[in-house]
Amino acid sequence: MATTTATLILSSADVTGHNFSMTQTATLTKAASSTGLDEFTGITSRKYPTAQTDTVVVADSIYVDTTVAHKVYIRNTSTGNSDYILVELEGDVIIGRLYPGDWMFIPYGGTLDVQVTTVATNVSIEYGVFSQSTVS
Amino acid sequence: MATITATINLTSPDITGDPLNLSKTSVLNKAATATGLDQFTGITTVVYAAAKTAEKIVDAGDYVDTTVSHKVYIKNSATGSSDFVTVELGGSNVLMGRLYPGDWCFFPYDGTLDVDIDTSAANMKVEYGVFSQSTAS
Repeated sequence: MATTTATLILSSADVTGHNFSMTQTATLTKAASSTGLDEFTGITSRKYPTAQTDTVVVADSIYVDTTVAHKVYIRNTSTGNSDYILVELEGDVIIGRLYPGDWMFIPYGGTLDVQVTTVATNVSIEYGVFSQSTVS
Repeated sequence: MATITATINLTSPDITGDPLNLSKTSVLNKAATATGLDQFTGITTVVYAAAKTAEKIVDAGDYVDTTVSHKVYIKNSATGSSDFVTVELGGSNVLMGRLYPGDWCFFPYDGTLDVDIDTSAANMKVEYGVFSQSTAS
């Protein structure tokens, strides 16, 4: 099985009274296992010519669900600072807004679609899913 | 205002036919501005003596909402491979997904729904924090 790592680095010289720097690395494995995730969509890049409403970027029907360790990555690749992407779980469950340059990396239970809504034209996005098959 | 950066590196030599090596850095700004986020909870570390259900770790009541650019970080700091943290949104505890030991997540937060977690076993360690924007300009 594949070996995939996800590293997060958060740093700031001034958000607190001292330097803040944190690095966390996760090896992406199947649920309750040391076996690596074995599926990946690749990174999809899209530029939406029109504003989008509840556009599905991750369809739950494609994935096994619940006892899983899937991961979803989404990034707003637009420029400027105002054209946000609203990220929701199916049923209008709002996660939050990604402003240009922002990214997110979340665990995904595979029970609800992941949807995006945009308010401007020509908003650019990239996204991908690391997931586990039912193969042990 | 503060300058905060968040970098993600995704790497794999073998998840596809070609090596994956993605690195992206975001400067965490207030919504629709070039002004940095100005609030941070710090990183909270908790060891739960017993399994938890719908434990609120981010309270929507503490934050301005909607036109915001808050960010939430959560990590399952348990060891082994089986003890998972379930991340949920809102009063209906809508499932986002499970963090297995060592897994972390980082996502935008609009301040309208609480973020809750379930833990699957006793003595699990979880860490979390919120970067957020005040109403100050």
